[in-house]
Amino acid sequence: MSAGAGGHYLVLGAGGLGCPALLGLVAAGAEAITIVDHDVVDASNLQRQVLYTTADVGMAKVEAAAVRLRSRDPRVQLRTHRVHLDAASLGPLLAAQPAGTIVLECSDAPGLKFLANDTCLSGQLPLVVGGVQRWRGQVQAVVRGHACLRCMFEGPPPPELQESCSQVGVMGAAAGLLGFWMAQMAVALRAGSPVAGTLWAIDTRTLAPQQMRPRPRPDCPACGADV
Amino acid sequence: MATIRIPTPLRKYTQGKEEVQVAGATVHAVIEALESSHPGIRERILDDAGKVRRFVNVFVGEEDIRFLENLETPVAERDEISIIPAIAGG
Repeated sequence: MSAGAGGHYLVLGAGGLGCPALLGLVAAGAEAITIVDHDVVDASNLQRQVLYTTADVGMAKVEAAAVRLRSRDPRVQLRTHRVHLDAASLGPLLAAQPAGTIVLECSDAPGLKFLANDTCLSGQLPLVVGGVQRWRGQVQAVVRGHACLRCMFEGPPPPELQESCSQVGVMGAAAGLLGFWMAQMAVALRAGSPVAGTLWAIDTRTLAPQQMRPRPRPDCPACGADV
Repeated sequence: MATIRIPTPLRKYTQGKEEVQVAGATVHAVIEALESSHPGIRERILDDAGKVRRFVNVFVGEEDIRFLENLETPVAERDEISIIPAIAGG
């Protein structure tokens, strides 16, 4: 039984968040998914990147993910892009997406999350942006007219304060929870549910969620003109 | 006294406590009082110029302090202050 998610989803990052998000989208009945990642599967990924097995080590993540997802549901139309996402590549990628695409930002790059926020807003693509580290995570759905990621946090930490999951670790189950949460939020967005703007944060050791409803900031450089 | 909800990454400064009660008439005063009792925590919240770091947000109740009076936002008895850092791993 699927949730009738339908539509097209663009998943940026096929790692700790991306793997469960992809599984969630397929399980929910997505019609088409584009998977974007530049990396290859490493054995150290397997404790949290649940699409992959030891047989996939060394394989491009987008290809390994596509194989696994097709084995679960061959009806889903899958496209893969093995590309490093940055300011130069993200804009053209998003501009090429069909109308109605919902974007899920699942990367391990803080700067990319804010760049995706800005670019999706200007391109009017709904976005679900998530983050997970250690045993805690956050998810926010970004849609024009509602508080965006920069309304909540003005910008990413400077490079010297950025901690990647490979550096500080992440609980596999925490990544799984947040990734599936992201998929469900994307499905909710497509269904027209009022999830945009709210930030959910959770510490999976206590399982106590925190919900913040930031107001759109008039001086927000990403969405202030919409306020 | 106001209650400050301490995010997980900062609990090493508060001996693991997720909530700390602190006296202070403004958000700034509360953070300074927090620093007095838990040294080192202020620089994780405020930058060298004394402003809230860009990747951190502070709420009094459900209000973002940037919509109020920023660090000079008054704090009442029993107010709950939340410090929310961005989590950007994946």
